[in-house]
Amino acid sequence: MIEIINPGWCSIVVDRGRYGYADAGIPTSAALDYFSYSMANHLVGNEMGGPVLEVTGSAFSLRFDVDVTCAVTGAEVIAYLDERPVTPWRSFAARAGNTLRVKEVLEGFRYYIGFSGIMEVDRVINSFSTNIECRFGGYMGRPLLKGDKIGLRHAKVIGERFIPEDALPSLSPPYVLRILEGPEMGRFTEETVGRLIEGGVQSWYTVSAKANRTGIRLEGKPLVFKKGVNKTIISEGVLPGTIQVPGDGLPIITLYERTIGGYARLALIVKADHDLLAQLKPKDKVIFRIIGIEEAERLWNRKVEHFYRALPQ
Amino acid sequence: MEFWRYGEDGVRIVFGNTIDLEVSELIRKYYFFLKSLRLEEIIDIIPSFTSCLIHYDSRRISFSDFLSLLKKRMENIDAVCLPEPRTHKIPVRYGGEYGPDMEFVCSYAGLTEAEVIEIHTSTVYTVFAIGFLPGFPYMGILDKRIYTPRLETPRLKVPEGSVGLAQLQTGIYPFESPAGWRIIGKTRVRLFDAGKEPHSLLRMGDTVRFMAV
Repeated sequence: MIEIINPGWCSIVVDRGRYGYADAGIPTSAALDYFSYSMANHLVGNEMGGPVLEVTGSAFSLRFDVDVTCAVTGAEVIAYLDERPVTPWRSFAARAGNTLRVKEVLEGFRYYIGFSGIMEVDRVINSFSTNIECRFGGYMGRPLLKGDKIGLRHAKVIGERFIPEDALPSLSPPYVLRILEGPEMGRFTEETVGRLIEGGVQSWYTVSAKANRTGIRLEGKPLVFKKGVNKTIISEGVLPGTIQVPGDGLPIITLYERTIGGYARLALIVKADHDLLAQLKPKDKVIFRIIGIEEAERLWNRKVEHFYRALPQ
Repeated sequence: MEFWRYGEDGVRIVFGNTIDLEVSELIRKYYFFLKSLRLEEIIDIIPSFTSCLIHYDSRRISFSDFLSLLKKRMENIDAVCLPEPRTHKIPVRYGGEYGPDMEFVCSYAGLTEAEVIEIHTSTVYTVFAIGFLPGFPYMGILDKRIYTPRLETPRLKVPEGSVGLAQLQTGIYPFESPAGWRIIGKTRVRLFDAGKEPHSLLRMGDTVRFMAV
């Protein structure tokens, strides 16, 4: 069993998400950083697809009442097991009575904690992921609170594993987010689209404080609609990574909690950059740059190769 | 029908560009047809007012092969067995604490509350799409006399069961959530159940009639 002493800003149970139910409006609620999520499972010897904790913010801590191997991945953090520093991206054995504390998040926004064994949490509609708005899945369908206790079945200590340094994502803003043309890009002025092609200072945006698992609102130079065009659309399907632009011209990056949207879909973040979205924190700068589909596919293939190279042997 | 690529893993099939019952019926037919094929290349289908967005599995098939597959399978669409639309009666408490925007809707329309309720309850609505939130029905077509623009700034929270208007649509919030639609009432009918299938009470093509209680 583990007991939450301090849940940080928000900590929830996630897995790879719910698929096949979008026609009932059920979003995936997947782990936002798939690479870090998967590695948290691998480092502790769990199967791919198992539940892990996704934590936002520092000051998180939990206490163990069993001996179990754990790992912390994702955002760059300073963490301790009792008084000993913990190396992220490397599994370690915690003993009953130990406390894991994340003191500081140096870069990035979300980190993942995996445990050897099976977390006793709710699997609802084929997934352990927490749908916070609808209150189902994970730990009672809600973010963790101080005092929550999560059972660990088959908790065990295994040999140490680590992810090679050259396989770790580099987190240093400003981040370049590569994008593909979306269905309503034609509703924006040539000057606006030109800015995104150039990918220069003019296409810099700042992550606002309104960033959560549903979407990331950005601030900066408004994107300009052509004169006379409709600024909204008849509500239509969206996929994760879609950039929607409301009437005020400030883009919103749709994450994993919506299936239908009603704003103009300017562009889509390429899949190779989706994990990075989890790590955008308020005030980070991002730069958009339009690329073509062939380049997006190349980037994705490279990312997949990278993924398999990182797996511990 | 027009086929468009949507990012790396999406195909958007566009059937029209207005809110229209005939277009919706074409989409409904195509959606149930695709669903009946149980193609392992398809991860999700999101039908809505004017299109079907398909999330396909790009690990299994390339975009161009997937398009060919979709087009080839289309030949059999007329063999699809469409589920019979169901009719639902949904009781609503209108106005007052249940409908914080009722006053606005009345003044925007130049009608009394009784007239707005009379108009809202006398139309049989069609479910055009389910989405945004689990089980949220996008329904239409609203009587033009009570056409209402969305809120400029969405509310951070409306209670579960809130019945809202937006332009020529009406909908019901299955969960407490942020909301940009104008809320005129509240129902106790449960629209979504994570614990049993089908999870959504309503499905595309169903019809809904509201009753004032």
